[in-house]
Amino acid sequence: MENRTKHLFLKTLCLGAGLCIATATQAQDDRPLIEPDVTPVPVTEALIDTENFEIGAFVGVLNIEDFESSLLYGGKLTYHLSESFFFEAGVGFAEGGETSFEKLAGNVEVLTDSERDYSYYNINLGYNVLPGEAFLTENYAFNTNFYLIAGAGATDFAGDTRFTLNAGAGYQVLLTDSVAVQIGVRQHYYRIDVLGAEKTSMNTEVSTGLSVFF
Amino acid sequence: MPIAILMFLLLLPAQSWAGWLWGQAEDDALKVQVAEPYVSWRTGPATGYPVFHTSEKGEWLTILQRKTSWIKVTDTRGREGWIAVADIAQTVDATGNRMDLQVPDFEAFESRRVEAGLMMGEFDGAAVTAGYGGFWMTRNLSAELWASQILGSASEIRMVNANLVHQPFPDWRVSPFFTLGVGHIWVDPKATLAQPEERDNSIGHAGLGIRAYITDRYFIRAEVKDYKVFTTRSTNEEATEWKIGLSIFF
Repeated sequence: MENRTKHLFLKTLCLGAGLCIATATQAQDDRPLIEPDVTPVPVTEALIDTENFEIGAFVGVLNIEDFESSLLYGGKLTYHLSESFFFEAGVGFAEGGETSFEKLAGNVEVLTDSERDYSYYNINLGYNVLPGEAFLTENYAFNTNFYLIAGAGATDFAGDTRFTLNAGAGYQVLLTDSVAVQIGVRQHYYRIDVLGAEKTSMNTEVSTGLSVFF
Repeated sequence: MPIAILMFLLLLPAQSWAGWLWGQAEDDALKVQVAEPYVSWRTGPATGYPVFHTSEKGEWLTILQRKTSWIKVTDTRGREGWIAVADIAQTVDATGNRMDLQVPDFEAFESRRVEAGLMMGEFDGAAVTAGYGGFWMTRNLSAELWASQILGSASEIRMVNANLVHQPFPDWRVSPFFTLGVGHIWVDPKATLAQPEERDNSIGHAGLGIRAYITDRYFIRAEVKDYKVFTTRSTNEEATEWKIGLSIFF
């Protein structure tokens, strides 16, 4: 009898204790050891900083056919369509010098001072033909691009605005992901009739610039 | 003055590196977890750059920035590299949801609301450069605004136009359209001409063209337009223009 009572009590005790421990561990499993005090924020496309635009300034030399070479400065805005293609809109300012004729004849002026102001704008399509890396040290490399570019626009020079085609190539070195330097050569072509007969004027631009991605 | 404008334009993106200057807050880091077996890291944002590292399933990556279809990430050990957008789109964020990255496709092209582009061609024998923006009111009908510059051997012409465009087959990848519009034209003759005479006139035009979807957000557009210039003289003038160009849509 005594044995039976003991058995009954022990059984319920053991069962109860077991249940208690089970529920206790169950409760512990539900709760992480350290409660996070931040709620997770979903990552959406709008939160990612997209840097497809690039804005820059350049300075160089523009050889204006018949009118000497001049200091050239300007700016450009680039939109990268893909890893290979980009759109570029640029403006440039220079000043035409004197023709050989004006120098030899002395007191002759083919153009007035304001007509010698040279400015252009163009819209171009570029292609990164050779993406690459330039290795500065063993552990440090800059990303680079060799690109071809061509487009059309207008040149305001010698009193008129003329349709202008341009084509060229350049080499860009990305100092960081947001800042780049480049050096480029561009040939500008337009028809001009200031010195008598109409002809194609070829103007070579060599420039170097700095740009920022945003 | 041009220098001042250039300086101003250069300072425009200042907000993008202001964060770097003042020290970006750490808590807005965008963390995603790799859910595919592995993702490849490249040294630069193009397929030409070599793969130098891979992250396996379960690794957490922090998104730094995006350039075209590449995303720069860093991992817990401070490595930095570029991962294709298509791979990042397979990762999950802290809420356990898949990254919601949209890669624009033909379906997006069909339901576009806004488009803009640059075109070049010939206006009555002279070179024309034009830019436009358009807004889609329905899948078939859009309204557009145009600005053109025409540089001929005898004159410089500036032109603005507003027109309606109708495309009968919005589901076609290469889709034709018709257009009708009005505008204004300013003619500025060359300085070297004997009797330069500036004039401006109202114009009307009708045209037809074609759009061809390429990829991503881009399509090619080509069109022919016939312009009627309403002069004060007894006869009106006519001009035919064709253009081709690249457009982007949103």
